[in-house]
Amino acid sequence: MKMHCEEVQRSLEAWLDRELNQSEAERVGSHLLECPLCSEDRRQLEHLQDALRNSLEVRASGLAFEPFWSEVRRRILEQKPWHVQFLDWVRFTLYPARLTWAIPVVIVFLLLILSLEQLVPGWGLGPGTSNLAAVESIDGHGLNVAVFRESKTKTTVIWIFQNQEGEDEAADESAPGDNTF
Amino acid sequence: MELSDWELVQKCQAGEIAAFQELVVRYYHKVFLVVLGVLNHQEDALEVAQETFLRAYKKIKGFRGGSAFYTWLYRIAVNLSIDFQRRQKRSPMEFRETLDDVIDEREESGRDPFCSLQSKEIGKKLVAAIDDLTPDHRAVIVMRAVEGLSYKDISRILGCSEGTVMSRLHYARKKLQEKLGPFL
Repeated sequence: MKMHCEEVQRSLEAWLDRELNQSEAERVGSHLLECPLCSEDRRQLEHLQDALRNSLEVRASGLAFEPFWSEVRRRILEQKPWHVQFLDWVRFTLYPARLTWAIPVVIVFLLLILSLEQLVPGWGLGPGTSNLAAVESIDGHGLNVAVFRESKTKTTVIWIFQNQEGEDEAADESAPGDNTF
Repeated sequence: MELSDWELVQKCQAGEIAAFQELVVRYYHKVFLVVLGVLNHQEDALEVAQETFLRAYKKIKGFRGGSAFYTWLYRIAVNLSIDFQRRQKRSPMEFRETLDDVIDEREESGRDPFCSLQSKEIGKKLVAAIDDLTPDHRAVIVMRAVEGLSYKDISRILGCSEGTVMSRLHYARKKLQEKLGPFL
Protein backbone atom coordinates (compact mmCIF):
# COMPACT_ATOMS: atom_id res chain seq x y z
CA MET A 1 0.00 0.00 0.00
CA LYS A 2 1.32 3.43 -0.95
CA MET A 3 1.98 6.02 1.73
CA HIS A 4 0.63 9.55 1.61
CA CYS A 5 2.83 12.62 2.11
CA GLU A 6 1.30 13.37 5.53
CA GLU A 7 2.11 9.88 6.74
CA VAL A 8 5.66 10.15 5.40
CA GLN A 9 6.13 13.53 7.06
CA ARG A 10 5.29 11.98 10.42
CA SER A 11 7.81 9.18 9.89
CA LEU A 12 10.52 11.05 8.02
CA GLU A 13 12.69 11.91 11.03
CA ALA A 14 12.44 8.39 12.43
CA TRP A 15 13.37 7.09 8.96
CA LEU A 16 16.44 9.35 8.84
CA ASP A 17 17.38 8.23 12.35
CA ARG A 18 16.97 4.56 11.33
CA GLU A 19 14.37 4.00 14.00
CA LEU A 20 11.67 2.44 11.76
CA ASN A 21 11.24 -1.27 11.26
CA GLN A 22 12.24 -2.71 7.90
CA SER A 23 8.83 -2.71 6.20
CA GLU A 24 8.01 0.85 7.30
CA ALA A 25 11.46 2.03 6.23
CA GLU A 26 11.00 0.48 2.78
CA ARG A 27 7.60 2.13 2.34
CA VAL A 28 8.99 5.57 3.30
CA GLY A 29 12.02 4.98 1.05
CA SER A 30 9.92 4.15 -2.00
CA HIS A 31 7.67 7.18 -1.41
CA LEU A 32 10.74 9.44 -1.25
CA LEU A 33 11.90 8.15 -4.64
CA GLU A 34 8.63 9.27 -6.21
CA CYS A 35 7.74 12.45 -4.30
CA PRO A 36 9.81 15.60 -4.95
CA LEU A 37 8.25 17.51 -2.02
CA CYS A 38 9.06 14.88 0.59
CA SER A 39 12.49 14.41 -0.99
CA GLU A 40 13.16 18.10 -0.50
CA ASP A 41 12.24 17.81 3.19
CA ARG A 42 14.55 14.85 3.51
CA ARG A 43 17.37 16.80 1.82
CA GLN A 44 16.92 19.74 4.20
CA LEU A 45 16.96 17.53 7.28
CA GLU A 46 20.09 15.72 6.06
CA HIS A 47 21.77 19.02 5.26
CA LEU A 48 20.92 20.35 8.71
CA GLN A 49 22.38 17.25 10.34
CA ASP A 50 25.56 17.44 8.21
CA ALA A 51 25.96 21.14 8.94
CA LEU A 52 25.64 20.57 12.67
CA ARG A 53 28.11 17.68 12.66
CA ASN A 54 30.61 19.55 10.48
CA SER A 55 30.50 22.76 12.50
CA LEU A 56 31.09 20.91 15.77
CA GLU A 57 33.82 18.72 14.31
CA VAL A 58 35.62 21.74 12.91
CA ARG A 59 35.50 23.43 16.29
CA ALA A 60 36.68 20.28 18.06
CA SER A 61 39.39 19.42 15.55
CA GLY A 62 42.11 21.28 17.46
CA LEU A 63 41.68 19.17 20.58
CA ALA A 64 44.84 17.16 21.20
CA PHE A 65 44.91 14.14 23.47
CA GLU A 66 48.14 14.82 25.41
CA PRO A 67 47.25 18.16 27.01
CA PHE A 68 43.72 16.92 27.64
CA TRP A 69 44.92 13.78 29.43
CA SER A 70 47.67 15.63 31.32
CA GLU A 71 45.09 17.92 32.89
CA VAL A 72 42.72 15.04 33.73
CA ARG A 73 45.61 13.05 35.24
CA ARG A 74 46.80 16.06 37.23
CA ARG A 75 43.32 16.50 38.69
CA ILE A 76 43.06 12.78 39.49
CA LEU A 77 46.37 12.77 41.35
CA GLU A 78 45.78 16.10 43.04
CA GLN A 79 44.71 15.86 46.65
CA LYS A 80 42.68 18.95 47.34
CA PRO A 81 42.69 20.38 50.88
CA TRP A 82 39.48 19.66 52.77
CA HIS A 83 38.29 23.27 52.68
CA VAL A 84 38.64 23.41 48.87
CA GLN A 85 36.69 20.15 48.56
CA PHE A 86 34.03 21.60 50.86
CA LEU A 87 33.81 24.79 48.79
CA ASP A 88 33.52 22.72 45.59
CA TRP A 89 30.72 20.77 47.20
CA VAL A 90 28.98 23.97 48.30
CA ARG A 91 29.34 25.49 44.85
CA PHE A 92 27.97 22.35 43.23
CA THR A 93 25.12 21.84 45.69
CA LEU A 94 23.99 25.30 46.67
CA TYR A 95 23.18 27.05 43.46
CA PRO A 96 19.61 28.28 42.95
CA ALA A 97 18.33 25.40 40.80
CA ARG A 98 19.35 22.90 43.45
CA LEU A 99 18.06 25.02 46.33
CA THR A 100 14.42 24.23 45.62
CA TRP A 101 14.64 21.33 48.07
CA ALA A 102 16.28 23.42 50.77
CA ILE A 103 13.27 25.53 51.80
CA PRO A 104 10.93 22.60 52.56
CA VAL A 105 13.81 20.77 54.28
CA VAL A 106 14.50 23.74 56.57
CA ILE A 107 10.77 24.09 57.38
CA VAL A 108 10.44 20.37 58.17
CA PHE A 109 13.61 20.51 60.29
CA LEU A 110 12.32 23.45 62.33
CA LEU A 111 8.92 21.81 62.79
CA LEU A 112 10.66 18.64 63.94
CA ILE A 113 12.73 20.53 66.50
CA LEU A 114 9.66 22.33 67.83
CA SER A 115 7.65 19.10 67.98
CA LEU A 116 10.42 17.30 69.84
CA GLU A 117 10.45 20.03 72.41
CA GLN A 118 6.75 19.38 73.05
CA LEU A 119 6.86 15.59 72.83
CA VAL A 120 10.12 14.54 74.49
CA PRO A 121 10.55 15.59 78.12
CA GLY A 122 13.90 17.19 78.77
CA TRP A 123 14.49 17.97 75.08
CA GLY A 124 15.46 21.54 74.44
CA LEU A 125 17.67 23.77 72.37
CA GLY A 126 19.62 24.84 75.43
CA PRO A 127 19.40 25.65 79.09
CA GLY A 128 16.33 27.59 80.00
CA THR A 129 14.47 27.28 76.70
CA SER A 130 11.53 25.54 78.34
CA ASN A 131 11.95 27.52 81.53
CA LEU A 132 9.04 29.81 80.76
CA ALA A 133 8.83 32.89 82.90
CA ALA A 134 6.26 35.64 82.79
CA VAL A 135 5.81 39.04 84.36
CA GLU A 136 2.31 40.36 84.67
CA SER A 137 1.64 43.89 85.82
CA ILE A 138 -1.61 45.26 87.13
CA ASP A 139 -2.21 48.92 87.79
CA GLY A 140 -5.16 49.89 89.94
CA HIS A 141 -6.01 52.83 92.14
CA GLY A 142 -2.42 54.04 92.32
CA LEU A 143 -1.20 50.65 93.52
CA ASN A 144 0.86 48.68 91.08
CA VAL A 145 1.26 44.94 91.36
CA ALA A 146 3.76 42.94 89.34
CA VAL A 147 3.72 39.18 89.41
CA PHE A 148 6.68 37.14 88.15
CA ARG A 149 6.08 33.42 87.56
CA GLU A 150 8.80 30.96 86.64
CA SER A 151 7.64 27.44 85.85
CA LYS A 152 10.80 25.33 86.22
CA THR A 153 11.55 26.21 89.83
CA LYS A 154 7.87 26.97 90.51
CA THR A 155 8.79 30.41 91.84
CA THR A 156 6.36 33.26 92.13
CA VAL A 157 7.45 36.76 93.10
CA ILE A 158 4.94 39.50 93.74
CA TRP A 159 5.87 43.17 93.89
CA ILE A 160 3.57 45.78 95.22
CA PHE A 161 4.72 49.33 94.63
CA GLN A 162 3.46 52.85 94.33
CA ASN A 163 4.17 55.34 91.59
CA GLN A 164 6.13 58.39 92.64
CA GLU A 165 3.98 60.78 90.67
CA GLY A 166 6.34 63.72 90.35
CA GLU A 167 9.23 61.56 89.15
CA ASP A 168 6.96 59.57 86.88
CA GLU A 169 5.76 62.62 85.04
CA ALA A 170 9.36 63.66 84.40
CA ALA A 171 10.26 60.10 83.44
CA ASP A 172 7.24 59.85 81.15
CA GLU A 173 8.45 62.79 79.10
CA SER A 174 11.83 61.27 78.46
CA ALA A 175 10.95 57.59 78.38
CA PRO A 176 7.25 56.77 78.20
CA GLY A 177 6.18 53.67 80.11
CA ASP A 178 9.39 53.40 82.12
CA ASN A 179 8.26 52.15 85.56
CA THR A 180 10.42 51.74 88.60
CA PHE A 181 10.06 48.43 90.45
CA MET B 1 44.02 -7.94 21.22
CA GLU B 2 42.05 -4.83 22.09
CA LEU B 3 40.26 -4.97 25.41
CA SER B 4 36.57 -4.19 25.63
CA ASP B 5 35.32 -1.16 27.56
CA TRP B 6 34.06 -3.40 30.34
CA GLU B 7 37.44 -5.14 30.70
CA LEU B 8 39.14 -1.75 30.93
CA VAL B 9 36.59 -0.62 33.51
CA GLN B 10 37.35 -3.68 35.62
CA LYS B 11 41.07 -2.89 35.45
CA CYS B 12 40.33 0.69 36.51
CA GLN B 13 38.33 -0.64 39.43
CA ALA B 14 41.41 -2.59 40.42
CA GLY B 15 43.35 0.69 40.45
CA GLU B 16 45.10 0.68 37.03
CA ILE B 17 45.23 4.26 35.87
CA ALA B 18 46.68 3.12 32.51
CA ALA B 19 43.38 1.36 31.78
CA PHE B 20 41.55 4.59 32.50
CA GLN B 21 43.90 6.42 30.14
CA GLU B 22 42.86 3.97 27.40
CA LEU B 23 39.21 4.78 28.04
CA VAL B 24 40.02 8.49 27.81
CA VAL B 25 41.77 7.85 24.46
CA ARG B 26 38.61 6.16 23.18
CA TYR B 27 36.11 8.73 24.34
CA TYR B 28 37.70 12.13 24.94
CA HIS B 29 36.88 13.45 21.48
CA LYS B 30 33.29 12.16 21.51
CA VAL B 31 32.67 13.53 24.99
CA PHE B 32 34.15 16.88 23.98
CA LEU B 33 31.85 17.03 20.92
CA VAL B 34 28.75 16.38 22.99
CA VAL B 35 29.74 18.90 25.66
CA LEU B 36 30.64 21.47 23.01
CA GLY B 37 27.25 20.90 21.40
CA VAL B 38 25.46 21.59 24.67
CA LEU B 39 27.62 24.50 25.87
CA ASN B 40 28.51 26.01 22.48
CA HIS B 41 31.70 27.43 23.96
CA GLN B 42 35.21 26.00 23.44
CA GLU B 43 36.89 26.78 26.75
CA ASP B 44 33.90 25.85 28.87
CA ALA B 45 33.52 22.62 26.91
CA LEU B 46 37.15 21.70 27.55
CA GLU B 47 36.76 22.35 31.26
CA VAL B 48 33.55 20.30 31.51
CA ALA B 49 34.90 17.44 29.35
CA GLN B 50 37.92 17.13 31.66
CA GLU B 51 35.68 17.32 34.72
CA THR B 52 33.56 14.53 33.18
CA PHE B 53 36.54 12.16 33.14
CA LEU B 54 37.57 13.18 36.64
CA ARG B 55 34.06 12.38 37.93
CA ALA B 56 34.04 9.13 35.96
CA TYR B 57 37.35 8.10 37.53
CA LYS B 58 36.10 8.88 41.02
CA LYS B 59 32.84 6.99 40.51
CA ILE B 60 34.09 4.08 38.43
CA LYS B 61 34.16 1.69 41.37
CA GLY B 62 30.40 2.07 41.57
CA PHE B 63 29.88 1.23 37.88
CA ARG B 64 28.45 -2.29 37.68
CA GLY B 65 28.11 -2.61 33.91
CA GLY B 66 24.30 -2.42 33.92
CA SER B 67 24.57 -0.18 30.86
CA ALA B 68 27.27 0.41 28.27
CA PHE B 69 30.25 2.40 29.56
CA TYR B 70 29.73 5.16 26.99
CA THR B 71 26.07 5.56 28.05
CA TRP B 72 27.21 6.02 31.63
CA LEU B 73 29.99 8.40 30.60
CA TYR B 74 27.73 10.49 28.37
CA ARG B 75 25.22 10.74 31.21
CA ILE B 76 27.89 12.31 33.42
CA ALA B 77 28.96 14.63 30.57
CA VAL B 78 25.44 15.77 29.71
CA ASN B 79 24.42 16.31 33.34
CA LEU B 80 27.56 18.33 34.04
CA SER B 81 27.06 20.35 30.85
CA ILE B 82 23.42 21.14 31.61
CA ASP B 83 24.29 22.13 35.20
CA PHE B 84 27.17 24.27 33.95
CA GLN B 85 25.04 25.95 31.29
CA ARG B 86 22.30 26.80 33.79
CA ARG B 87 24.83 28.34 36.15
CA GLN B 88 26.76 30.31 33.55
CA LYS B 89 24.05 31.80 31.33
CA ARG B 90 26.52 33.27 28.83
CA SER B 91 25.30 35.75 26.29
CA PRO B 92 24.80 34.48 22.73
CA MET B 93 27.18 37.16 21.46
CA GLU B 94 29.99 35.51 23.36
CA PHE B 95 29.36 32.24 21.49
CA ARG B 96 29.41 33.97 18.13
CA GLU B 97 32.65 35.72 18.92
CA THR B 98 34.13 32.38 19.86
CA LEU B 99 33.14 30.88 16.54
CA ASP B 100 34.47 33.89 14.68
CA ASP B 101 37.81 33.36 16.42
CA VAL B 102 37.89 29.73 15.32
CA ILE B 103 37.03 30.64 11.74
CA ASP B 104 39.65 33.40 11.59
CA GLU B 105 42.27 31.11 13.09
CA ARG B 106 41.58 28.39 10.51
CA GLU B 107 41.53 30.87 7.64
CA GLU B 108 44.96 32.13 8.69
CA SER B 109 46.22 28.57 8.58
CA GLY B 110 44.82 28.20 5.03
CA ARG B 111 42.03 25.76 5.85
CA ASP B 112 38.40 26.56 5.18
CA PRO B 113 36.53 25.27 8.20
CA PHE B 114 33.21 25.08 6.41
CA CYS B 115 34.29 23.70 3.07
CA SER B 116 31.67 20.96 3.35
CA LEU B 117 28.99 23.52 4.10
CA GLN B 118 30.23 25.76 1.28
CA SER B 119 29.68 28.76 3.45
CA LYS B 120 30.97 30.25 6.64
CA GLU B 121 27.66 32.02 7.01
CA ILE B 122 25.73 28.84 7.65
CA GLY B 123 28.18 27.95 10.42
CA LYS B 124 27.60 31.27 12.14
CA LYS B 125 23.84 31.03 11.70
CA LEU B 126 23.91 27.52 13.08
CA VAL B 127 25.80 28.53 16.20
CA ALA B 128 23.37 31.41 16.76
CA ALA B 129 20.40 29.08 16.19
CA ILE B 130 21.78 26.54 18.67
CA ASP B 131 21.98 29.33 21.26
CA ASP B 132 18.21 29.66 21.13
CA LEU B 133 17.66 26.03 22.09
CA THR B 134 17.52 24.89 25.69
CA PRO B 135 20.39 22.70 26.97
CA ASP B 136 18.03 19.69 26.97
CA HIS B 137 17.17 20.17 23.30
CA ARG B 138 20.82 20.74 22.39
CA ALA B 139 21.85 17.57 24.17
CA VAL B 140 19.31 15.49 22.25
CA ILE B 141 20.14 16.83 18.81
CA VAL B 142 23.88 16.63 19.34
CA MET B 143 23.75 13.04 20.55
CA ARG B 144 21.59 12.07 17.58
CA ALA B 145 23.10 14.17 14.79
CA VAL B 146 26.74 14.06 15.79
CA GLU B 147 27.14 10.82 17.72
CA GLY B 148 24.40 8.92 15.91
CA LEU B 149 23.04 7.44 19.14
CA SER B 150 19.71 5.63 19.07
CA TYR B 151 16.60 7.02 20.73
CA LYS B 152 16.90 4.24 23.31
CA ASP B 153 20.48 5.18 24.24
CA ILE B 154 19.63 8.87 24.38
CA SER B 155 16.64 8.16 26.64
CA ARG B 156 18.89 6.16 28.98
CA ILE B 157 21.49 8.93 29.07
CA LEU B 158 18.95 11.65 29.79
CA GLY B 159 16.74 9.54 32.03
CA CYS B 160 13.59 10.23 30.01
CA SER B 161 11.28 8.26 27.72
CA GLU B 162 11.94 7.59 24.03
CA GLY B 163 8.82 9.61 23.27
CA THR B 164 10.36 12.62 25.01
CA VAL B 165 13.54 12.14 23.00
CA MET B 166 11.54 12.08 19.76
CA SER B 167 9.56 15.18 20.63
CA ARG B 168 12.65 17.13 21.74
CA LEU B 169 14.46 16.09 18.58
CA HIS B 170 11.52 17.16 16.43
CA TYR B 171 11.28 20.52 18.21
CA ALA B 172 15.02 21.16 17.93
CA ARG B 173 15.08 20.32 14.23
CA LYS B 174 12.09 22.52 13.49
CA LYS B 175 13.65 25.45 15.36
CA LEU B 176 16.97 25.06 13.55
CA GLN B 177 15.18 24.73 10.20
CA GLU B 178 13.23 27.91 10.90
CA LYS B 179 16.41 29.84 11.69
CA LEU B 180 18.45 28.41 8.84
CA GLY B 181 15.65 28.15 6.29
CA PRO B 182 17.25 30.04 3.37
CA PHE B 183 20.63 28.42 3.92
CA LEU B 184 19.44 24.81 3.77
